[in-house]
Amino acid sequence: MPDDVLALFRTRLGLEEVPPEGPFVPPETLPDIVAALKEMGFLLFLYCAATHWPATENRPEAFTVAYGLRRPGPGSSTARLRVRIPADGSIPTLSGLFAGADWQEREQYDLVGIHFEGHPDLRRLMLPEDWEGHPLRKDYAIDTHHFPWR
Amino acid sequence: MAVDETSRTFVHPLYGWLEKIPGLSVGLTTADAVLSWGLEHSLWVFPMATSCCGIEFMATMTSRFDMDQFGTFTRPTPRQCDVMVVAGTITVKMAPRVKRLWDMMPEPRWCVAMGSCAISGDFYRNLYAVVPGVDTFIPVDVYVPGCPPAPDHVHAGMHVLMEKIRQVRKGTFRPNADPAAREGLLRPSIPRIGDPDRDPALSRAQAEAAFRMDPGCQVTPRSEDERDVP
Ligand code: SF4
Repeated sequence: MPDDVLALFRTRLGLEEVPPEGPFVPPETLPDIVAALKEMGFLLFLYCAATHWPATENRPEAFTVAYGLRRPGPGSSTARLRVRIPADGSIPTLSGLFAGADWQEREQYDLVGIHFEGHPDLRRLMLPEDWEGHPLRKDYAIDTHHFPWR
Repeated sequence: MAVDETSRTFVHPLYGWLEKIPGLSVGLTTADAVLSWGLEHSLWVFPMATSCCGIEFMATMTSRFDMDQFGTFTRPTPRQCDVMVVAGTITVKMAPRVKRLWDMMPEPRWCVAMGSCAISGDFYRNLYAVVPGVDTFIPVDVYVPGCPPAPDHVHAGMHVLMEKIRQVRKGTFRPNADPAAREGLLRPSIPRIGDPDRDPALSRAQAEAAFRMDPGCQVTPRSEDERDVP
């Protein structure tokens, strides 16, 4: 990641070291930090990818959502950051900042079941509207029945 | 018009009446032969192409492989078509749409399942979103196996379909309705949850594979004897 992004993460999050795969950002400060990054020229919303972490004896169930932004133009660079939320948590939507985030957040809602707060139209994107469950969660069996076709 | 969905024979309601007129049966047989010839040499195809097999199907329809020489070419609407070629993986969301397009096609109609995905779901067979074969919801006449089938295999499949139409019109077609073979085709290769013969070790292995990871995106290294592949 470029130096100005590392400096932003250090001052805003009070971090010593920024891991290369992106720092963990508290969900409530996410819109501010992403807005600051957009000011700095990160105009392209690359990805929003969620992961489900099932509960084990050491930790409760949790989700992480990874974001990637790109600064286009000569010497283009990428900024990466992550958000970790508990099982019943939610994340503020970025669809007000980036129009492209709208469908990516709908996809993550569809497949992993992340709730994006303030999203204008949080419906399933790819699976049928009457689908039950979120198939990319670790506790979803890959061969779950779906009648009448399965 | 009456169609028997199990054997896919096609009977025009006029036939019973006309056959009673003496001396007309000879003429009818000739007319029937001409009609069959017309039917089997003008198979207009509705391409139900959803994935990689669709690309191969497009190649089959190009002038290099020349399906037009058999009177077979694609039409963009199901209303004008005789054959639905299902080329590609059919998902649970797509299946009702495929069924609806199939219902729009006028009788007589035929279905060709092209590629392993349309036949059985292939390696997506046990996936949550994939239908294990189109014959679970529409009747299939000819299966063209392959991943994807080469254009000459699709040619061969269309010739098999023509032969089938000829035999059905002549009344000499006998479908192979072996229930045991059919059940083997429909049963998934990995028993699903709720199946009485599902091995509990399989569920355990799936759960363990899912739980082995940690939120730092790090996979805990497995010990030597745990590895699946030596
Ligand atoms: S059978 Fe193979 S080529 Fe055809 S749709 Fe399936 S994966 Fe693609």
